Amino acid sequence: MSRSVKKGPYVDGKLFEKVQKQKEMGSSEPIRTWARSCTIVPDFVSHTFMIHNGKIFHKLFVTDDMVGHKLGEFALTRTFRAHGGVKKKETPHG
Amino acid sequence: MPRIAGIDIPTDKRIVIALTYIYGIGKVLSKKILSELKIDENLRAKDLHEDQSSALGAYIEKNFSIEGQLRRQEMQNIARMKSIGCYRGIRHKVGLPVRGQRTKTNARTRKGRKKTVAGKKNVKELG
Repeated sequence: MSRSVKKGPYVDGKLFEKVQKQKEMGSSEPIRTWARSCTIVPDFVSHTFMIHNGKIFHKLFVTDDMVGHKLGEFALTRTFRAHGGVKKKETPHG
Repeated sequence: MPRIAGIDIPTDKRIVIALTYIYGIGKVLSKKILSELKIDENLRAKDLHEDQSSALGAYIEKNFSIEGQLRRQEMQNIARMKSIGCYRGIRHKVGLPVRGQRTKTNARTRKGRKKTVAGKKNVKELG
């Protein structure tokens, strides 16, 4: 179910403050964050985030197109290491 | 044969149904359109008055995107998601289900025909 419109988008308060602070200072250092559920608002555009995926931080430079998505959508939490059936078996023996 | 909103030529079915032959219009939207224009749902498409069919065409074109336009929109949306590399975009790229369905089994629509893997546990035991 989608979020009620009445509430507006969910934006992590502390993260938003940090972005505002950066805006004033004019710097664009990557911001480390665990707030994966935070919606990307227009203020975030052209800032860089380091989004935690449970293990490491993924770097993301926010562009216009990303507004409205959540930060977590850009830092995958699962790794897929190809189904290598036959090849895998040969390597350990050989 | 009546033409509504350009290319579509529905047959001698009731218009509620005939309209759904247009890509982008389903039964619900079709009913809504007809009640908006005060046209009887049970009328056959061929019995439509000329004013009515032109009114239908104009109304649909004004309010909804259909056919090619809609298909283009959809493609653009997917292309956008692919280009920004969000989760949904990635799922589209790798051809797996996009909306969180399970992939341990099923998901054959997205993954295509089954690829049998030789030497997999079950296969071996059987042989």
